[in-house]
Amino acid sequence: MALIFRGFKESILRLLPLFLLIYICISEFHTQFYYWEIFSFNLQFIIIYYWILRDPDILGYGFVFLCGLINDVVLSLPLATSAMSYLFVSLVAAYVRNATVRTSLFTDWFTFVVAIGIGNFLYFYLMNNFAEANIEYTTIFYNSLFTFIFYPVFWGLFEVYRQFSFARSNA
Amino acid sequence: MSTSRDDFSIAIRSALLQRGAKQKFSLFVLILLSIFIFTLDNANLKPVKILRSLLNDGIYRISAVSSSPIKMSSSTKDFFVNHIFVYKENERLKTELDELKTKKLETLYLKTENNKLQNVLKLEKESPYTVVNAKVILDKNSPYLNSLIINKGSNSKIKLGMPALHEGYLVGRIVEVNFTSSRILLLNDLNSRIPVVISPEGSQAILSGSGKKKPNLQYLPENFKLNDKENSVFTSGKDGVLFPGIAVGNAVFDDDRIVVKLLSDPDQINFVSIALEQQTDVGAR
Repeated sequence: MALIFRGFKESILRLLPLFLLIYICISEFHTQFYYWEIFSFNLQFIIIYYWILRDPDILGYGFVFLCGLINDVVLSLPLATSAMSYLFVSLVAAYVRNATVRTSLFTDWFTFVVAIGIGNFLYFYLMNNFAEANIEYTTIFYNSLFTFIFYPVFWGLFEVYRQFSFARSNA
Repeated sequence: MSTSRDDFSIAIRSALLQRGAKQKFSLFVLILLSIFIFTLDNANLKPVKILRSLLNDGIYRISAVSSSPIKMSSSTKDFFVNHIFVYKENERLKTELDELKTKKLETLYLKTENNKLQNVLKLEKESPYTVVNAKVILDKNSPYLNSLIINKGSNSKIKLGMPALHEGYLVGRIVEVNFTSSRILLLNDLNSRIPVVISPEGSQAILSGSGKKKPNLQYLPENFKLNDKENSVFTSGKDGVLFPGIAVGNAVFDDDRIVVKLLSDPDQINFVSIALEQQTDVGAR
């Protein structure tokens, strides 16, 4: 019984990034702050990029797709808009994982620019051409910029968590 | 040169088609599936619309439940902030109380006079609109969208375009109706455009959301100047959708632009009233 409980606890702890991603997509969690009107960032991109790059077994592509659909419903966007943008971020992460032998914060961070660029461009293109919504270039630009700037902060946090989780599972 | 191109194509093919030990779908399949769903959703087919409406209702409920910890933390923060500023608030309230005492006497006189006049005209004392009250269940905003989800939908006779009021002031309009829920596009959203009139001159303009707290006033008449005393903004009803005369806010100067300070703070809305129809007896107003 104790072993089963421990196994359950371990898997919950291991799947925390997945739960975080689902929670951010489904809840009222805001990444836009009105006190600094240009400040917003895309935490979903950061989570997806980091975990697909570092440990794809935790964050499956199916869950990324599902989270995108949930986000579209909650934000009333055309279905699969966010899903497509998240999947292209995953594609860049999977490519970088296959193409590079040794990764560091800097390689992750600079290849993340490509992922943000593709993800946000796709989102912008789909929203402006297929939805009755108007998005300004500047909003997308600031969102991309702050997502890029914040990546190392979350990278550090996720690294600590990954090592902690790895140490526990090896103990 | 060709080797590096080969490396690139191998890596991208592998990223698209490879499935990890615990991956059930490849990225290629999921991207195709996304394109298929996106096309179906854009085709506006009736069965897809019904399915999406049901999906919306279900996810909004789950979302409302999962957001409760965030709502609780937000109300706890407000509670502490209110306590910190209690002295300042008390001083302000004392001043306001003195002003209100004076106004009360004036109001009493006007009320009596109004009652007398209404009796003469035999008018019913009614609200100018038939409204349905709804609770905000979700206010998830993205950098590109400012909207609210309410717990009433087509089952309460809500229709697209109806105005949403908070304490009698306009806060937005209905842009999506499901069976038990609806979405309100707030006035400060980038896609919101409302025809308004500015009193006392009666100048016409378009209230245009900017994604910020104070929406802009566009298409103002040439040589328009703000009045020194009063610049109240009301809906003009020129679009034929919103009722005329709903109070929106006050026009003010901000960074060399004329913007509207809304009467209702879009971040502080818990309940809204949806105006279903205007009373035909306009005189009751």
